[in-house]
Amino acid sequence: METDQLISIDIFCNHYKVEYSFVQSLQEVGLIDTVFVQETQYIHLPQLQKLERMIRLHDDLDVNLEGIEVVHHLLKRVESMQGEIVLLKNRLRLYES
Amino acid sequence: MAFVDYYQILGIQKTATEKEIKAAYRKLARKYHPDVNPNDQEAQKKFQELNEANEVLSDPEKRKKYDQYGKDWEHGEEYEKARQARASSANYGGGFSSGGGDNFSDFFESMFGGNSGFGGGRAGGRQTKFRGQDYQAEVHLTLTEAYETHKQTLTVNGKNIRITVPAGIENGQNIKISGHGGAGSNGGPNGDLFITFSVANDEKFKRLKNDLYLTADLDLYTAVLGGELIIETLSGKVKLPVKAETQNGNIVRLKGKGFPVYKQDGQFGDLYVTFNIKIPTDLTEKQKELFTELSKS
Repeated sequence: METDQLISIDIFCNHYKVEYSFVQSLQEVGLIDTVFVQETQYIHLPQLQKLERMIRLHDDLDVNLEGIEVVHHLLKRVESMQGEIVLLKNRLRLYES
Repeated sequence: MAFVDYYQILGIQKTATEKEIKAAYRKLARKYHPDVNPNDQEAQKKFQELNEANEVLSDPEKRKKYDQYGKDWEHGEEYEKARQARASSANYGGGFSSGGGDNFSDFFESMFGGNSGFGGGRAGGRQTKFRGQDYQAEVHLTLTEAYETHKQTLTVNGKNIRITVPAGIENGQNIKISGHGGAGSNGGPNGDLFITFSVANDEKFKRLKNDLYLTADLDLYTAVLGGELIIETLSGKVKLPVKAETQNGNIVRLKGKGFPVYKQDGQFGDLYVTFNIKIPTDLTEKQKELFTELSKS
């Protein structure tokens, strides 16, 4: 595993001024995945955007952990449905002149 | 430049308290926040308006100025003086953070100056580093353009960005160009640029994923007796053998003559050709006689 693809939770929390416990809670409910390398906890770089979004929901909109979980699952459904709409639209174009 | 009614945007009375302003902002922000409205430009625009309204009305100094000169900003001599004074000294602190954007209306920029740095929208006004706003762009391609990998230059917010469009891109497909969105706030990283491709319908070919569909006219005689038909595909002409007694609407598949598979070099979908048998017109007397004989046989 390349270490440049990992961000230490400590550095992340310090950089984004968020509580360690908040990130920990997100991990505990399965919203993000973390890994331990030599006793240091990291998140994967590709998860950064997802984590930032959760912090914005929490800080900007006062959404609590349970709310973030609901929003996260609904957004996943929205994304999946948007993909399906694109596919259906493209299929419909077969029958359009 | 139109006057912007910030009270109306937040749906509050002019007498609203700080608490009421905050509550109205939070309520609407939850509805229109870009994070809960992915790929919705209307929501993003609305959210920018909300931020702008909140930025002004949640700051007592700005609110006072807005209430005093807002409506008559065009004629306000005092406003002009205040603006000049502000230009030389003011710097509104704060830590605007959300992914909603930092584009203010002309009205706001005229009244309060350009990118002053927002303080609204975040509890406590922490100087949190956040990545910049994600930009959305749409690129229109013809089917022929989408067939081949090519370079294209886009102008996004005044900057030219050269991108490679891989062959096989689908209508409605999104690609992300990292770091080409808005600048981050408080030293945060830049946002990303999301490009949605719109591939126009082609008159001749229909596309579904990697397969192409084509309707080809076939003369009656070749359909009955068999023969060959030259088909123009996107990769050139192809000689297609036609079986005897081919029926109208019969479909043949030309393997590998469809659309290139996205980011899979050398892989192609198939081309489906539907025969449309053309009945001859303007028959001569002799031809009619022959058809009559045929019909009796």
